[in-house]
Amino acid sequence: MERRTLLKGAGAGLIAVAVAGGGMAMMTPAQAKAKSAPYSVLTANEVVTLEALGEVLLPGAAAEGIAHFVDSQLAAPSADCLLILRYLEWPAPYAPFYKGCLAALDGVSQSRFGKPFAKLSPAQGEELIGAMSTGQLADWKGPPAPLFYMAARSDAVDVVYGTVEGFKKLGVPYMAHIEPETPW
Amino acid sequence: MVEPSRPGAGVDVVIVGAGAAGSLAAARLAAAGKSVTVLESGPAWTVQSLVSSQIWARRLKWGGPRVVLDGANPFGHSMAMGWGLGGAALHHYANWPRLRPEDFRLKTLYGRGADWPISYEELRPWYDLIQGEIGISGDAEAEVWRPPGAPYSQPPFPTFPQAETIAKGFAARGLRTAPAPLAILTEPKGDRAPCLFDGWCDAGCPTGALANPLVTYQKDAVRLGARFLSGCTVTRVNLDGRGRAAGVAFVDAKGEQRTLEAAVVILAASAIQTPRLLLASAGPGAERGVANSSGLVGQGFMAHALTSFMGIFDTPQDNHLGVSGGNLVCRDGWEKTRVPGGFGSREWVIASSLKPNDLIGIAMSRPDLFGQRLHAFMRDDAPRIAHMGALFEPLPLPQNRIELATQKDAYGVPMARLTYALAPETLALVEDAKIEGVAIMKAAGAKAVWTSPIVTNHALGGTPMGSSPADSVTDSYGRTWDAPNLFIYGGGLFPTAGAAGPTFTIHAVTRRAVDHLIDTWKAATA
Repeated sequence: MERRTLLKGAGAGLIAVAVAGGGMAMMTPAQAKAKSAPYSVLTANEVVTLEALGEVLLPGAAAEGIAHFVDSQLAAPSADCLLILRYLEWPAPYAPFYKGCLAALDGVSQSRFGKPFAKLSPAQGEELIGAMSTGQLADWKGPPAPLFYMAARSDAVDVVYGTVEGFKKLGVPYMAHIEPETPW
Repeated sequence: MVEPSRPGAGVDVVIVGAGAAGSLAAARLAAAGKSVTVLESGPAWTVQSLVSSQIWARRLKWGGPRVVLDGANPFGHSMAMGWGLGGAALHHYANWPRLRPEDFRLKTLYGRGADWPISYEELRPWYDLIQGEIGISGDAEAEVWRPPGAPYSQPPFPTFPQAETIAKGFAARGLRTAPAPLAILTEPKGDRAPCLFDGWCDAGCPTGALANPLVTYQKDAVRLGARFLSGCTVTRVNLDGRGRAAGVAFVDAKGEQRTLEAAVVILAASAIQTPRLLLASAGPGAERGVANSSGLVGQGFMAHALTSFMGIFDTPQDNHLGVSGGNLVCRDGWEKTRVPGGFGSREWVIASSLKPNDLIGIAMSRPDLFGQRLHAFMRDDAPRIAHMGALFEPLPLPQNRIELATQKDAYGVPMARLTYALAPETLALVEDAKIEGVAIMKAAGAKAVWTSPIVTNHALGGTPMGSSPADSVTDSYGRTWDAPNLFIYGGGLFPTAGAAGPTFTIHAVTRRAVDHLIDTWKAATA
């Protein structure tokens, strides 16, 4: 794929993902999720944890591609990163923040419930995230838990409601001047 | 057209920063026949970059070296600032009220802060001139707090449902409202189209309705021959043997170290990066930093305090319609000594259009909700929300300042360290408004009301203009007291901030300054 095509796609709301047989393709995060496209920055375990977190924060976020969205933005230069974290004054690079927080989340899950976050029941997941949101996890070992809650929650909102399709779900007219070419 | 960086001889003028002030200065100087090069560290945005999406809008915000933030109210730097062609004005909300006469005389009238070296009456013709060139919509008669000035050339925006709702609350409390003065067109102007009321201002307006530099002075400057070089980071202001500005050192888009000689150097790199550059340029003859014989460079940084109010009403509010900046304003309660224990002016900005996501979106207004409760809120409550904000005047305190951090950027230049804490007098204004704002929303019929934490916006001060080298960094034309061919333009010149979005005043002050520079060119470059 030509660099110009990649850049044009990026401007339209697509992410570049590696595809089987080599090369790159432009997809939405949801399309990348549906096609099981590989990840660039996040490990398989981190993806599982992030998707589980996304489902607790805003059900539907996993299917809408929260993990591919975050992964693609962590792979980008920090000045091009589209994650809300860039507004929250956490110094770049951003990948260590997500990796540290996902590890911390699994860590507190193990210490409290004896299993990783993705294996928790819905009630256990909600209990843990509620405590995370207010910084009430004394055994949290990572960047500030409430900051991660805010960032990951925004990532979930972005992929579920921040897209053209997301606006439709809410009945809100998108009214774009320059519309993203695909549903997001 | 944005040309690639290339070696070359000196120029008449080098401008650092392609935001509102830098673009306006470039246009005027190019029109006067000067050779102008603008060095901008960020990307070469075009109107086609302005995709309607709160997610993609984030790339327009600051992407340069980290600013180390400190203090009790750390400045909301990353969201407030811009980078690339257009600067922060590329994503600004175009609330363009004028400062009031008393804002220019704070020290004389109240014994607070500082006086400006110019009065409102001296600046008024420049407000009027810019207003005519840009096109501002509003209703001067209804805006009873507005100081004397030319009437608006564009009709006001229609009043949208959430504004009608909230206005009833103001009326019930005996407060007046008026259409917001906006640098957004309601009628065609030249090749610029009127607004479609779709609320994508924060993502950058590509239609020309909102007066961002890409559709106003940057466009004019390019047409008149100014060169805009993006991806070029200025690392130093160079002085000659007489202490005058000789030009700048910069790293070009290819990463090569370069210098550019210029007869005049204009720093318009924001109220944060300009003092950083001055301080980082310290050397023989300027041991405390360039233009810093007063020791004041970096001191007196200001940012407005803001807080938001959201109310849920019985009926849909069509809150997706309008503009990011607000549909109506109320400046009743403007009097600076009105609140016991407080000091400063206040402005209500009513009925900003809302989007579902982002830091200022609907979902983020209730950060306590997640899971199915968040879905229910977004589905059932969000359409019935009406929103307003209040903006508060800060005080210029010397302890609020930009310094050099111990950390350095990729080019070895110390990063900026920004310390900011609102004065107790400002916090008293906020507490007063929180009570009043909730009462207004309830009087309007809100079934539930909640407020946001205090945030800060608009980078101002730090290189104030004044009447004397002892208490300021520049004269009223932005000319540094230390070097007659080194100028500072932009919000950093503000000695005080008032309670008004600053972009209109930045334009007026810049226009006055650059026209004076053109008129006195020989003296400046002698």
